[in-house]
This record gives sequence, C-alpha cells and structure tokens, in this order.
Amino acid sequence: MTKPVLSVREIVAGYGEMTILNGTTFDVMPGTITTVIGPNGAGKSTVFKTIFGMLKARSGSIHFKNSDITNLIPRKLLAQGLCYVPQGRNIFPELSVLHNLELGGIAASAETNIAQRVDSILERFPMLRRKGQQQAGTLSGGEQKLLEIARSLLLDPQLMLIDEPSIGLSPMMVQEVFSIIKELRAKGVSILMIEQNARSALEISDDGLVLELGRTRMQDRAQALLNDPRVGQLFLGGVIEENTA
Amino acid sequence: MMNFINLILSGLATGAIYALVAIGFTLLWQTSQTINFAQGEFVMVPAFFVLATLNLGMPLPIALLVGLALSMLVLGVLFKNLLVDPMLRHGVLPLAICTMALSIFLKETVKEVYSAEASPFPSFLPEGNLIFFGANISIQSVSIFVFAICAVLALQAFLARTSTGRQMQATAQNPYVAKLLGVPVERMIMYTFLINAALVALASFLISPVYLAKFSAGETLGLAAFIAAIVGGFNQIRGAIVGGLLLGIVDNLAAAYISTQYRGAVPLFLLIAVILFRPQGLMGRAEERTV
Repeated sequence: MTKPVLSVREIVAGYGEMTILNGTTFDVMPGTITTVIGPNGAGKSTVFKTIFGMLKARSGSIHFKNSDITNLIPRKLLAQGLCYVPQGRNIFPELSVLHNLELGGIAASAETNIAQRVDSILERFPMLRRKGQQQAGTLSGGEQKLLEIARSLLLDPQLMLIDEPSIGLSPMMVQEVFSIIKELRAKGVSILMIEQNARSALEISDDGLVLELGRTRMQDRAQALLNDPRVGQLFLGGVIEENTA
Repeated sequence: MMNFINLILSGLATGAIYALVAIGFTLLWQTSQTINFAQGEFVMVPAFFVLATLNLGMPLPIALLVGLALSMLVLGVLFKNLLVDPMLRHGVLPLAICTMALSIFLKETVKEVYSAEASPFPSFLPEGNLIFFGANISIQSVSIFVFAICAVLALQAFLARTSTGRQMQATAQNPYVAKLLGVPVERMIMYTFLINAALVALASFLISPVYLAKFSAGETLGLAAFIAAIVGGFNQIRGAIVGGLLLGIVDNLAAAYISTQYRGAVPLFLLIAVILFRPQGLMGRAEERTV
C-alpha cells in the first residue's frame, strides 16, 4: 500500500483564546488532488496555515514524506518540497513580474540554478515572459493568480497547498487554473486544495475531505463524496429537499 | 538672477538633506509602520557621537566612522529592539507617542551630557566659492547636494538591483507573503532600521558644519522631513526625494522673496495644500486602510 505524502494527525490550533482546529486528521496520497470542503469557519484555511508553519499547532503532528514537519518555519518547508498559495492577491504589486517570480526562489539551496528554473517556468507561462518587465500590480486578477502559482512552482514542489484558487476569477481563467492543477498532478505533484466551487473541484479531484468545526467529518474518494446525499445537500447546492417535497 | 541661482542651489542642498531624512522616515513606515517623531533628533545625535570621539583625540575620518557605527547601533539596533518591537505590539499610535518621548529624551540627554551651546562641527567637504556663469556659488552647497544625491541613488540601486534589496521591498509591500516565500522578514526589517540610521548619520555629518551641532537642531529638521515625506507621498522613496528637494527650494525662495518671518509657515501651507488636494502626496499611491 502506498504511503501518504502528507499525514495530519489530531491537530489542535487556533488564534489567541479561540480554538479553530479540534483534532483535525487526514492524509494526502502522492500524485493526487485532494479537495477540502466545509462550511465557513470550519477551519479550512486554518489547516493550511498550520501545515505551513504560519500558525502554531498546539498539539498533534504533521508528517511530510515520513519526516515530522510540525511547526517548521516556511523557509524549511519550502526547502523540503512544500509550497503554499494562499487565498486572495499575494503578489508584490510594485515589483516587476519577473522579480516577483524570482522571489519564489529565495529558499532554494545553493546548488539550485534559479535562472534556469525561471526560464523553464516562463516557457510554461508565456504570458509572464511577455509581461515580465511590467509592475505585477498591473496584471489582471487571473494573471496575478497564474503568477502566484508559477512562483510557487519555482522550487519544484512535491506538495502544493492551494487555497481558493478560483475565487474572483473569470470562468475562462478558472478553467485555466484547474487545467494547470491537473497538469501538475500528471507530473506527480500532490495537491491539497480548498475550493468554494466544491462541485467542480471534486470533479477533478481524487479524494475529498469534509471539515466541520475543526474536525474531519468525512474523508473519501471525491466521487463518493459527490454522490453522497448528505454532502450534496450541505455543500454542493443539493436538491434532496426538492425531491422529497 | 545670480541671487536666484544661488537660492535654488542652496535650496537643493538643504532639500537633499531633507530628502535623506524623509527617505528614512518612509522606509521605517513601509516596513514596520513606525512613524518616528524623533527622526529630527536622530539627525542631531550622530554629530555629538562624532564630537565626543574627536574630543578623545581621534582624527576626523575615524570620528566620522565611529559616529556612523554608533548611530547604527543606537539609532538602528537599540531603537528597534528596545522601543519599536515592544511598543508595536500595542499598535501604531502608542509607538508614535513613544517616539515623541524619545525625541525629548534625546534632546535633554545631549543638553545635560554634552552642552546646551551650539558647537562648531568640522566639515569634510571642500569650502570656498566658485564663479559659475557670473554667479558666486558655494562649493559646500554643491558638494552637499552631490553627496546626498549619490547616497540616494546608491540606496535606490541597492533596493532595485540586489536580491536583498528586492527582499526588503517585498517585505515592505506584503510581509505575510514575503514570509511564505522564505524571506527572512525580521532581518529585512532590521536592515531598514540600519539604513535609516546610516541616512540620518550622513545627513547629520553634512548639515552640522552649516548649522552647527546643537541639542535642538533636530526640531526644524524633523518637521521639515516629516512634511517632505507627506508632500512627496508617504509610501514612496521617490516621493520623499521630490518632497525634500521641493521643500528645500520653496523654503529658500520664500525666505528671500516673501518674508523671512513667514519662512517657517510656507512649508506648512504646502503641507495643507497637499493634504487638501492630493492627500496621497505628489508621488504617493493611495492606501486602503480599515479604520
């Protein structure tokens, strides 16, 4: 049996006096897309922040490729092959597109050839090459999201945490972002994704995870979750009520 | 006409000093939300570090280096670690009030420990006059301007062209994301404080030979730099440069052509006009903030 690339066990974390995660537990298998769904305030983004060391886990453990990464700082996690694309706009608006991209290589080891990595990324994202000298703030919302994703690929990650990649994007851009995510999976990258557009996200996912009040309510194959009437009713704009009425 | 050229030139020299101090101001604001109301005193203090070292019998170049090093230690490292870091946890306003207290503390300390009298300060720049197109131009003014502008250009080049400089910019523009990418954000903020200390020390070494070293020398300078930063745009380095130079020239022309009595008021008129009609400053970008 294959071992999970990421395994989160009984994580407790929160802000100040408030506890958001109450023993969250789940696995991400290598080379898969896992989508996290759940109502607002379930702790979806908090899980990501805790995995990526931006929020301290009070107890529990997080393992990545068999090594304990609980409460490591982002720089160390990046060096191990983890990356995180948070929700919203996360670029440096007054730096050029190219310089934004290069900042993705800050945590690289000395032997990494950053220039070469940047070049291969620009090969994949010709738009970024074309607009390389522009201030990143002049890009459209979708282009900025692509820049963020491209930047996070600079260190050749094995696991990517991506929070609400489609929010605020045009339908065409959403397709583009989803196809990049599928392309990454084909290359063996594991993806853990939060997505408000739960149905479309589960459709391209292998596994799904339902969080509620900081706990894992269900973890199953994405297809199984799509077909589960409880999930459908709660999170996928279900029609059960109408059918029974 | 000759007079006018001279006024512009000495205005540029003073303005370049304002710009140095204002740049430090905006840098601290950008990376750590510090509004340093002691910035004027930060310009006054390095001169006394140098004078104290000279009194020990050291030659001027050594004394200037010691002054620079002490400034970076006291006005950079200690300022950040002992005052900014503990106070910033309580918010921007408590910190701003603390810097006001610091400004009084620095003034009174220098007055008590050194002297309440103005002390002459040796210049490391050439003096004398130069005839240029019939105008009698002070070499000191020109060299102050050239020196300050070179320092500003060097800083700009450092921020734009080196990886460390861009990491500092990234920290200023979005510290959260900078941290996610592995930028050592804390170290970048410390660099900003060190750069500010170096800028005020340089301003001190350039201006003290002209206006003498005195415990109260920072009062007008701090206000001028503050106005320059706001007029230019608080969140932009090039705004601080434009604001500084503009203020230097306006200040000088007002003294000559309007009235020396109103000299101090003119920059304030400029400030009010900018706040009324272009609150983000001449070069600044509007910032969104929840109140």
